[in-house]
Amino acid sequence: MSSPDTITASDRDHSGNWAVRQLTVADLRCWDRLTLQLNPGLVVVSGPNGAGKTSLVEAICYGMVGVSPRTTREADAIRVGRQAFHVELHVDGPHGRQVREMGYQPGLGRRMRIDEVPQRSVGLWRASGSILVFLPEELRAVKGPPAARRRAIDRILEGTDPTFAATAAAYTAAVTQRNAMLKRIKGQVAGVAGLTPWDHAVAEHGAAVATARSTMILDLQPRFARWMEELGGGPGGTLAWEPSPADLGEMAPDRFHEHLEARLAANRTRDIQAAQTLSGPHRDDVWIGIGDQDLRRTGSQGEQRTAVLALLLACRELLSEHGVTPILLLDDVLSELDPGRRRRLLDALVGQGQSWITSADPDAADLAAASGATHYLHVEDGHVAATP
Amino acid sequence: MAAILPSSVERLVAELAKLPGLGPRSAQRLAFHVMKAPPERAHALAEALVEVKDKLRPCSECFGFAEEELCPICADPRRDMTVLCAVEEPSAIIPIERTNEFRGRYHVLGGALSPIDGIDPEDLRLDELLERIARHGVTELVIATNPTMQGEATALFLADMVRDRVRVTRLASGLPVGADLEHADELTLGRALLGRRPI
Repeated sequence: MSSPDTITASDRDHSGNWAVRQLTVADLRCWDRLTLQLNPGLVVVSGPNGAGKTSLVEAICYGMVGVSPRTTREADAIRVGRQAFHVELHVDGPHGRQVREMGYQPGLGRRMRIDEVPQRSVGLWRASGSILVFLPEELRAVKGPPAARRRAIDRILEGTDPTFAATAAAYTAAVTQRNAMLKRIKGQVAGVAGLTPWDHAVAEHGAAVATARSTMILDLQPRFARWMEELGGGPGGTLAWEPSPADLGEMAPDRFHEHLEARLAANRTRDIQAAQTLSGPHRDDVWIGIGDQDLRRTGSQGEQRTAVLALLLACRELLSEHGVTPILLLDDVLSELDPGRRRRLLDALVGQGQSWITSADPDAADLAAASGATHYLHVEDGHVAATP
Repeated sequence: MAAILPSSVERLVAELAKLPGLGPRSAQRLAFHVMKAPPERAHALAEALVEVKDKLRPCSECFGFAEEELCPICADPRRDMTVLCAVEEPSAIIPIERTNEFRGRYHVLGGALSPIDGIDPEDLRLDELLERIARHGVTELVIATNPTMQGEATALFLADMVRDRVRVTRLASGLPVGADLEHADELTLGRALLGRRPI
């Protein structure tokens, strides 16, 4: 048995919630080398613009899912004059403590390890559903193309339903096969009869994807509405499934399969002309609005930002209810909220799991103290002053 | 770059590397093994390779592996010719035979539908299947294509094609016998739940 003084209270926290317990970065953006020890709870990071606050958020993203929300070019994240960056996270999660590492060097690509064991693919290495990220400049989930909203919903599904990723992959494969068949029929290489089994496959897997998405959006809706109101977006926040084909929205999920198959059969001529499957869950969208106002198209920057944040908080709640709270990474959200709303947001985050908030606000220290934050990190000139 | 190995060795390595599952390194390891082995052993291997290609041909009935006109299964008069089991490749016959549960005969389709690989119904042995069903008065077609998307699509296509002529059945998907539930993957377990039956 370990002696009592080597175990701190938080070491015995086996909640299964995700939390970064140690963060080490080397040569990432403005950071030369940095190691932080952390506990679950609220982590407030303050400091002037350009001090490297967002880079800490980015480091956690690299360590958990292997990609940055700021750039798709890893080389951009390497400290000027260095050859490679390296991120190491000691994380608590549903599978206990893990040491997760990711490094990147141009020419060599990504290197990922878990507990020192090299991982061959990012797909197997990434921890699905472990983080939810908000960056103020990243509003794709609201004003971007439908694919961005589908992805936002699908990511939560991957965190709550272990079979969803396989279901979604099967649907994509079925659509790819059907499209290839349509092309062959249009080019008169193959006969129309060959389409039937692919109509069936697309309908079968499409019904599973549609069922999962419609249920998820229904679950998120009331939570989204509440957060919109709490964050000052006003009453009437709405999240609604906009299925393809549209009439799926008017029927019960047990009819999806049959209906999709009938629609695919009815649309054959049109689909053969286009040489692609023109309707199905790969064309789904999610309505995001307040009352009748469609925030995707007509929302102001501020409204869209509030909607993205409300969606993230709704997703976090839902994942928590499924047993595992993800790490919430909120970059520079406080400046837009009035004191009452800041308070409500911070109160919600202190409770469980781990949340990171960055802020350039001079009174961030007071806010952190008032809200009962676990850690207050002040970042300046490549150094971190941590309390505690 | 000058070749490091004598050309005969290079050739052997190149040929071995074309085999499935062998990369250049494993091919080289096998080639070195053959080089060190006594000549009889290498000759025996070479002869076996040549013999199998010279002698083997598709069975004229089921298109499985045969050395004569018919494969041993189609030549066996005790096998029930009114029950046919459709498989993608001849290799699928072996595991089914090992079960000792199937007394009918086989039909090798020669693949599975996959438009993206350019495999259409016309590329499978479907006319031959229809002809055998008519000729032998087949009453049941057991579809044993792989439980992949391509295999399932092929099963559905076959079923639609012959449903009004014969009884069509499909191999069940489910749990491996003798294993713990907790080790089953979610997809297999999900299928097993869907396919549950009263006892």
